[in-house]
Amino acid sequence: MLTVENLSISFRTDEGRITPVQGVGFSVAEGRTLGIVGESGSGKSVSTKALMRLLPGNAEIDTKARMRYIAKSGEEIAIETLKAGSRTLRHLRGGEIGMIFQEPMASFSPVYTIGNQIMETIRLHRGLKGRAGRDLAVAMLTKVGISNPSTRVDQYPHELSGGMRQRAMIALALSAGPRLLIADEPTTALDVTIQAQVLDLMRGLQRDLGMGMIFITHDLGVIAHVADDVAVMYLGTIVETGTAREVLKSPAHPYTRGLIKAIPRADRLDARLEAVPGDIPSPSARPAGCPFHPRCAEVIPGLCDRATPPEVVLSEGRRVRCHLHDQTRAVA
Amino acid sequence: MTPDTRPLIEIRDLEVSFDLGKRGFFSGTRKQLKAVDGVSFDIRRGETVGLVGESGSGKTTVGRAILRVIAPSGGQVLLHGDGAPLDLVPLGPKALRPLRPRMSLVFQDPYSSLNPRMTVRDIIAEPLVAANLMRERDQIDARVREIAARCKLDLEHLRRFPHAFSGGQRQRICIARALVARPDFVVCDESVSALDVSIQAEIINLLKDLQDETGTSFLFIAHDLSVVARISHRVAVMYVGRFVEYAPTESLFFHPRHPYTHALLSAVPEPDPDLPFTPERLLGEIPNPADAPPGCRFHTRCPFARPRCALEVPDWRKLASDHFVACHYAGEFDFRRNRTSAPKETEPT
Repeated sequence: MLTVENLSISFRTDEGRITPVQGVGFSVAEGRTLGIVGESGSGKSVSTKALMRLLPGNAEIDTKARMRYIAKSGEEIAIETLKAGSRTLRHLRGGEIGMIFQEPMASFSPVYTIGNQIMETIRLHRGLKGRAGRDLAVAMLTKVGISNPSTRVDQYPHELSGGMRQRAMIALALSAGPRLLIADEPTTALDVTIQAQVLDLMRGLQRDLGMGMIFITHDLGVIAHVADDVAVMYLGTIVETGTAREVLKSPAHPYTRGLIKAIPRADRLDARLEAVPGDIPSPSARPAGCPFHPRCAEVIPGLCDRATPPEVVLSEGRRVRCHLHDQTRAVA
Repeated sequence: MTPDTRPLIEIRDLEVSFDLGKRGFFSGTRKQLKAVDGVSFDIRRGETVGLVGESGSGKTTVGRAILRVIAPSGGQVLLHGDGAPLDLVPLGPKALRPLRPRMSLVFQDPYSSLNPRMTVRDIIAEPLVAANLMRERDQIDARVREIAARCKLDLEHLRRFPHAFSGGQRQRICIARALVARPDFVVCDESVSALDVSIQAEIINLLKDLQDETGTSFLFIAHDLSVVARISHRVAVMYVGRFVEYAPTESLFFHPRHPYTHALLSAVPEPDPDLPFTPERLLGEIPNPADAPPGCRFHTRCPFARPRCALEVPDWRKLASDHFVACHYAGEFDFRRNRTSAPKETEPT
């Protein structure tokens, strides 16, 4: 339902032009969850904001970028060509693609009640006003497991706890009836027991509604239990894609392998953690060639620091961007 | 290094209350929030004690009260040294001053905890200068360079300002500053939580190595159980101002006795799609500490709660050697968890 190709995004800043996203491509199928994993500066949030055309004014989407979305009506929308403020774009935001963010307190307006904000969405996207809108808002709050929904609907965001607020945010996103939900670190700010509840809820809702979902997180543990497919990002490029099982059980890219080894696990206390050496460079100082080469244990001198690695297809849907996997590479 | 069994710090019935202000203009009664309510434990020499809990559990307050950054409203914090143990609770700012170099703190956010106008060298030297431990510039420089090297900082970087550094490097600067005066005891409050996974592992390893070299004791406060498991010799679990369980790491993680510890552990998703993810369903939300439930504070969310739990505060009792728990029925549950072995090396496909 969504296909993204050649997505590059650059920002004009005082220090010059930086390109936090370079040639990213992925697709999401109906009823499936694509997990995008990456550390800070990997470009995971920026890429998905481009899908909603929510980038700030100093951002530029490269002209080669293609973002195709099949709407509920069956019509294909070329997201990159939509004009700001156009009717299609307004419908796309919310009505077709819903979005939830890490910090729900910052995403709700503090001066309107939760119900007010959900009802606004319902009025805009579903045309339901007054009593009918309110009833649907209460129904949505019930659906996301908020206790006393008829009281909560008249409360302000600050009156709700973090977990409840995130549930209300999900209710808000779903009330417009989107086919695709983008969740940007939705559980990162929550405590583990609350995170478990919210993940449970999201998985259940997705199953019931058959939505596609893009789940952005830095936590591979969360990915293992919500995502069907995974894209691993490092410094603005997707270094590896595959099903969650393939990527987590047999990671192909040295970065993914390093990342998995670096995770402390509560079910294993034995060995020392293996850190990925070095620091994550800033997007303005992106290394030449493969962006991971300065930290890579398997770097090929003279190649990885010069040539951008090609995308190698390992099997259907399983791709890796690394010279080590390139069979066509001339053996020196 | 295995910690020796002598305690460095003993905490007895520690209480910390915060004043929430008068309820009404004429009413004299003030509402109090007991952030920490009767916590007792000890930290041994060369030991890392992990302290975990969710938001509002009071874990940060415990750390700060021990360091006397805030004043406890009750209990004792006994600091052992060469002579008789010294209770820090009744001491005023003047009396605490000479003790300050023995204790220090590493914060969560390495971006806001470094003064942007000071060079890295001056930041790291600050504890020495503030406590007047060294007067000679050369002597200070030598010590700063020594600790900076141990914290894997580039000595060239000492002349720079903190803005030039990444999160991981900044946290190494914070650690160097905390250790420069050779403290006996360091509180790390969520010190790796803000870092990316690939950087976090390096900081955890660094803290372990530094402890092996110096024998410093750590109180490692975090909400992330897997991080705490890796670094701690013993772990305490806190819930709304009280300890619910305190045990050696192995014992706590593989054989937890308290339903809350069990629920916390089951809620951590492991990065392996083949492991079942079946978090214990806890009812509702973490209670507000200003309005803590009577009896066992966990009874409102506990799947195993019985009528007694709402009425009586459970005793802090010893269930096995070094394994303490506060639950009326702790002996009845079997929450044993499976270990998984390290994954096999995967060859590039």
